[in-house]
Amino acid sequence: MKRTPLLIIGAGVLLAFVPTLGLPAFYDSLLYLMLHWIVLATSWNMLSGYTGYFSFGHGAFFGAGLYTTSTLLAKDDWPFLWTLPVAALVAALLGVALGAVVFRVKSVRGELFALLTLAITFVIGTIVVNTPLDGGNGVSLAAVPLPAIGPTPSSSFYLLALAAATLTMLIAWAIFVSKFGAGLFAIHDDEDAAEVMGVPTYRYKLIALGVSCALAGVAGGIHAMFLSYVTVGEVFTITVPLTVVLMSVLGGTRHWAGPAVGAVAITGLLYSFTAADHAIAGKAMIGAVLIAAILFMPDGILLRLKRAFGKRAASPEGGAVHAASHGPTPAAAAMASPVMQPSHATHGELLLCVRGLQKSFRGVRALTGVDVDVRRGEILGLLGPNGSGKSTFINVVTGHYLPTGGQIVFEGRELAGLPAHRIAAAGIARTYQIPRPFAHLSVLDNVALATMFGGAIHDVAAARRQAMTWLEFTGLHTKSGARPDDLNLHQRKFLELARALASRPRLVLLDEVLCGLTPSEIDDAVALIRRIRDQGSTIVFVEHVMRAVMALTDRVVVFNHGVLLAEGNATDVMQRPEVMTAYLGSPHKEAAHA
Amino acid sequence: MAFTLPSASLLSQSILSGVFVGALYGLMGLGLSLSWGLLRLINLAHFAFAFLAAYLCYQMATMGVDPLLTLVAIVPLFFAIGASLHWVMARFSVTPFNSLLLTFGLMGIVEAVIQTIWTADFRKLESTYAQQKFKLGGLFVPIPEFITLLLAVGISLAVWAVLRYTDLGKAMRAAAEDAAIASAFGVNQQRNALLLAGTCAALASIAGVCLALSFTLAPSQMYAWIGVVFAAVMLGGLGRALGPLIAGTLIGVSEAITMAVTAPSWAPIVSFTLLIVILVLRPGKAA
Amino acid sequence: MNHANLSRRSAIAATLLGLSGLALAQPAGQPIRIGSTLALTGPLSATAQIHKLVGDIYIEQANKRGGWLGRPIEWVVKDDQSKPDLARTLYEQLVTADKVDLLMGPYATGAILSAMGVAQRYNKVLVHHTLGIPSLAKYDLQFPAWSLGTDPATTVPNTVFDALAAGPKPPKTIAVVTSKFPSIQFMTAGAREVMKKRGLNEVLFLEWDFGNRDFGPIANRIKDAKPDFVWVGAIGLDGNLLLDAMKKIDYIPPQHFYLYPSPGPLVSLPEAKNALSVTIFEDQPPFTANTGAAEFVKLYRERATKAGLADPSVETQAAASYTAWQILEAGVSATKSLDDKKIGEWLKANKVDTLQGKLRFNGTGNFGDDLMRVKQVQNGHWVVVWPKEVTTASAKLLVQ
Repeated sequence: MKRTPLLIIGAGVLLAFVPTLGLPAFYDSLLYLMLHWIVLATSWNMLSGYTGYFSFGHGAFFGAGLYTTSTLLAKDDWPFLWTLPVAALVAALLGVALGAVVFRVKSVRGELFALLTLAITFVIGTIVVNTPLDGGNGVSLAAVPLPAIGPTPSSSFYLLALAAATLTMLIAWAIFVSKFGAGLFAIHDDEDAAEVMGVPTYRYKLIALGVSCALAGVAGGIHAMFLSYVTVGEVFTITVPLTVVLMSVLGGTRHWAGPAVGAVAITGLLYSFTAADHAIAGKAMIGAVLIAAILFMPDGILLRLKRAFGKRAASPEGGAVHAASHGPTPAAAAMASPVMQPSHATHGELLLCVRGLQKSFRGVRALTGVDVDVRRGEILGLLGPNGSGKSTFINVVTGHYLPTGGQIVFEGRELAGLPAHRIAAAGIARTYQIPRPFAHLSVLDNVALATMFGGAIHDVAAARRQAMTWLEFTGLHTKSGARPDDLNLHQRKFLELARALASRPRLVLLDEVLCGLTPSEIDDAVALIRRIRDQGSTIVFVEHVMRAVMALTDRVVVFNHGVLLAEGNATDVMQRPEVMTAYLGSPHKEAAHA
Repeated sequence: MAFTLPSASLLSQSILSGVFVGALYGLMGLGLSLSWGLLRLINLAHFAFAFLAAYLCYQMATMGVDPLLTLVAIVPLFFAIGASLHWVMARFSVTPFNSLLLTFGLMGIVEAVIQTIWTADFRKLESTYAQQKFKLGGLFVPIPEFITLLLAVGISLAVWAVLRYTDLGKAMRAAAEDAAIASAFGVNQQRNALLLAGTCAALASIAGVCLALSFTLAPSQMYAWIGVVFAAVMLGGLGRALGPLIAGTLIGVSEAITMAVTAPSWAPIVSFTLLIVILVLRPGKAA
Repeated sequence: MNHANLSRRSAIAATLLGLSGLALAQPAGQPIRIGSTLALTGPLSATAQIHKLVGDIYIEQANKRGGWLGRPIEWVVKDDQSKPDLARTLYEQLVTADKVDLLMGPYATGAILSAMGVAQRYNKVLVHHTLGIPSLAKYDLQFPAWSLGTDPATTVPNTVFDALAAGPKPPKTIAVVTSKFPSIQFMTAGAREVMKKRGLNEVLFLEWDFGNRDFGPIANRIKDAKPDFVWVGAIGLDGNLLLDAMKKIDYIPPQHFYLYPSPGPLVSLPEAKNALSVTIFEDQPPFTANTGAAEFVKLYRERATKAGLADPSVETQAAASYTAWQILEAGVSATKSLDDKKIGEWLKANKVDTLQGKLRFNGTGNFGDDLMRVKQVQNGHWVVVWPKEVTTASAKLLVQ
């Protein structure tokens, strides 16, 4: 695994000798352009490809870096190389400031984020053209001395860009194989689920954005000197963002090296058609080549090449060592099940104490003040007719929604109002009624994610090994390399369970995990749930399948219309008249059962 | 940034001017929005189609055909082109981002074709409509822009009505939300998608004719509209028929008012900052 | 007076030479290769196609005349796709890989500045034809074919206002509206200074973003300001869009001026009646008497019509382009070499006979005289109306 960064650095060092080959200087400039686009495309992909937050504003950050450098050079006479870190910083600050506001707004995702970033480009461009930063006249840097890094000026730019590109690729790879990267990919597939599983989504998105912008800023700073005369019209347009999107998509957005491949391909393509005789036909040819490329390589060039060279058609994310693919037999697995965190207190102590919990959605009162106690080591059934607030209860306790009132005290800590990832870190996990696995990650990685974030394991390989044991626990270890789409409903439910358990929670909230299963599958699930409790987890268990409720639960609580209706032993509670009324409706005038 | 108080006539005429250019943004954005929202394809070639239609209109007009009459030939032609393009994309199961790449390539090809036939020269359609205008109260209403406004409003409303009230429209919206389930209910998605794609291209061609009526054409100009039309489409909400028109008008009018009261070069800042503020404060517009 | 005789004599000589072309020595030997880029695709291609045409005409004519230094000349031209960074890279290719003998400038200020950097690094002479900001031309061996003079922001507006002052209705109140495009903006700033010095009253000043589409509000503000004269810092189609917008609100400016409109579209617009602009050359006497003008004008008209260009007459763009070739040829012939340094030194010390007249290059930044003249759209044609020396007898500045 450590091979890749060495390869990258090695390639960088090797390529640094190109200027000494004595080739005509223009090759330096052509390669400079390719490296320049590698930096831009790869940095864009770090945010947009990895997290799915499609940004149309890369031009704004590139331009911010470009104009930072040109202003410092032209007006303040800074030495050129010192302007580059400042350019990076300015661009990063701009991005993070934007992100800090925008990422807080839950519904700004998808194309709205794209629009916002596009709008920022035009706003900044207009500011620059109307202020002394550019003022409309452009900024001339012809008089600024270029540090002689290479034998010729062109080679100096080449070497600078090479350094920037090497750095960018290293960062892209490092993110890709790290826990941070895994979190980003989870955000891509299902941000809310990721948050609930412990990924600090807000912080991660800001970091990715900041890094992406900083690198774009550096590319901008270098490019300012390359152009030696900068104008707003060249920079703050949709051209840069559109081009990096095309390059990344062509190369492959789900791999750290994809955009680089796309950048080289498209720059090379654009460059090959510069002969004047067929300039216009050349444009058509480029279009035709792009169309052909994407029709026949829909996952991007890189993946196609990988497949062609017979590499293992592994999941494109995490090209690192795969954890052991075949574990011990199921019987042994049951014996080797991982140990939960030892309970610090005796069985029966109060684990979760909810008081007066309220949740309203624009006038609809889903929870109107519920009080629930959950004791350590018990299996508590959460029952009630549809619409009574059971799922809302789970959503609020795990932080998926913020409560509008009340307290949630878990192991003595107040959790109400905390972001979901902190609640996950505190030791609470849940499953979803309709499974929400991360579609682009393998089954193993789905679970590994929970291990890393809820369970606070930082090393990706270790997390995968742990995840494997959880897969064995739930009987899914033979499917570890599969995609969630390849699983049937029963298996997906078990995947949900494995994921929930992987973070070693003290409290597990199961949301109708049995719905849709066949009777024998239900038996399997019931057995599994018992084993989970025997591990040391406390379980709260929303369910309609009565025989499971009777078989498993120690106590039940019944919700109705957002309030707690009844509480106690399952058999007793189900016979109470108010509970029966809640489920079945009011009895006829004829006598009802006592 | 110095502000001057505009006269009432200046302000109202400017607002009207903004409405007109906004209507064009809306008309241009309509097909793009429907394609992106309902077919999940980001069709950059939409702009190429608009310009190709504009050039064809120009060509036929210089040969004596009334520009509006050219719609009779142009609309069906582009309907066919749009449906064919979609057929190809469906055949290869092109994903939304890949469609961006594919249609960008198509744009390059169309641009090259236009430049080969009509050279890079600027082409302006001199029609009888260009000379005409009427007065509404104290306001001047030029005919070409008025036609664009009528077409934009009329077509947007028509599309909205189709999507909302007809079975076809409901089927398309259902398929966009959940294709598998819609199929299970008997929606013929293949056919509907082709219909929709053809319609989107036809809408682009109508926008193109309006372009030819009011603007000077050059092959590379098609790229100049991408930014602002994308903004109108995204702000208006993907797949919503009235969205691009409303958003486009918002952008056009806010810029026009800015230009009327202060330095016109600040106009983009006002429209786009307004956009950002709307998105952040009242984000519930998109699906 | 002598002009007419001279031109007749030259015409006869040229004809005889042309007829005896077969007897002239055909150019022989290794071709001299001149490299440049042009924006053959992209937003700048509308005007760059003119420069391509002119270059082709020039090369053909030169080879018919026996080439340069007895050798045929060849033009290695590449498409920079309207991108300055590509222009820069391609110029490097031309110099270091294709190893051309000489360079010719590309189209438009941005690309020229990029090319200039490359020329500077390899000590190549760069003759260019469309640099709009003389103060940015800091390289010793660059030479402008567009005779703006060293301080066009002052001299050109002065010429314009001189013309207006000598006309039937000298304006007193002026509206200045301009694009924020680099080569336009500083000229407009200069114009405002000149106006102040001349005691003219500026009643409106507006700037718009390059790429602005909606000129309605701007037209309205001009109309409200009721100026005698409108200075429009226009580039490309700005002028057309503004005139369209003004027509839509029934406003005709009493006198109006457009700085760098796209050749062609403005003159054919009915609303552009009496619009003023500036030029270094027009297809009319006395310009057509200058060196090489007559033949070139005819050839260009033929080729441009064949190529389908809307406006087949030579004006600033085509003329500056042709002049650039003339300048380079003069340098080569005079020094009998392809040595850039020698050519540069010779050009700085001498005058060259071109389409625009005799040009000198010994001012700041190698610029010479400001040869910008004022022209006006009259009956759908450009007519040069100022200064008197270069106007035909009946031409004069018209007002509404």
